[in-house]
Amino acid sequence: MADQLDEDAPGGPTGAELTRQRSAELFAVLRDEDAPAESRDAAREGLVRLHLPLVEHCARRFRNRGEPLEDLVQVGTIGLIKSVDRFDVERGVEFSTYATPTIIGEIKRYFRDKGWAIRVPRRLQELRMQIGTATGELTQSLGRSPTPRELAEAIGCTVEEIVEGIESSNAYSTLSLDASDDGEDGGAATMLDAIGVEDIGLEHVEIRESIKPLLDRLAPREKKILLLRFFKNMTQSQIAEEIGVSQMHVSRLLNRTLEQLRTSLEED
Amino acid sequence: MASNHPTSDRRADVELRLPADGAYASVLRTTTAGLAARLDFPIDDIEDLRMAVGEATAMVLGDAVAGTDLVARFYQQPGELTLTLTAEVAGPVKLDYDSFAWQVLTTLASEAAASTTDTELTIALTMLSSHQESGR
Repeated sequence: MADQLDEDAPGGPTGAELTRQRSAELFAVLRDEDAPAESRDAAREGLVRLHLPLVEHCARRFRNRGEPLEDLVQVGTIGLIKSVDRFDVERGVEFSTYATPTIIGEIKRYFRDKGWAIRVPRRLQELRMQIGTATGELTQSLGRSPTPRELAEAIGCTVEEIVEGIESSNAYSTLSLDASDDGEDGGAATMLDAIGVEDIGLEHVEIRESIKPLLDRLAPREKKILLLRFFKNMTQSQIAEEIGVSQMHVSRLLNRTLEQLRTSLEED
Repeated sequence: MASNHPTSDRRADVELRLPADGAYASVLRTTTAGLAARLDFPIDDIEDLRMAVGEATAMVLGDAVAGTDLVARFYQQPGELTLTLTAEVAGPVKLDYDSFAWQVLTTLASEAAASTTDTELTIALTMLSSHQESGR
């Protein structure tokens, strides 16, 4: 993958140059008070996507500290969004230079916050990971989604603890896990970039006209996962297997997407 | 499919009264997931139910009179969980069965139904465990 930090180097590679140019264009729209709210929102989202490889880059530095990379990317994305909102275009600083400390700050804070609440969360963290692993294994061996009792037996804990662990994993759904650049920098793939969603025959899915405008507001990946669940009627486990992420991850994405849809409907 | 639908004369196994406010939707989702787990529903079903409840809550709250309560009633059977969500409304509600929200509900739950009176809107969801032996 292209080294994101090259963005700062003068006369960097064309990819970085393009990113910078696109970034400037988007910021121009975002900061334009006269631009319609819709285009400004789109510009903001575009900026977040454009610079996501930077978050990945930052998150990777922390990946060996026992937290899933995806979670770190998620947390780092919060920093990225804050940076997009606060960046002063007039300052003459590169956005990546400005955003990097904020992104890393968020990731560090994440580790610090976890450190505070010591035992219970740590235990839940471990449990959450154990549940994730056991769910995958049991789904394979049983050929269906396991029940909490089966998970409890496999892990050696109580059903109550499983319920607690599932809750804690759901409490996680903060921001975009799947959001990503749409490839201008290529390479810096988030998990969902790596998945072969294109292969899934969605063209045969029938979508009612009334629902189309709603779905078109979603990012392509979110839309696909949503279509697989609600129009192709695949289970979360099937979708997880199909696209190579965990069932918990599919669950988080679906929940968040539905939440988004509801919010956007309320705003209408 | 079981024919034991909740009726007004049947006592709910669990009843939860919450402010009709979206901020409490997570409490409802969590409670539902907890009950489904105790019925040993597969994880997929539990997650589906959680989403369905979120969707149904949003739907009911959309028409609820501000400052009133949302009442959730849960009926447990082996391998089957039914819940009803009832909110006070200002008049009979015409639900859009072509909406995406309804599509979500009917996909996620084994059964979904809505009923409305002059003062109340109720959405009922039934989830049958996809792992039948789990109910015993």
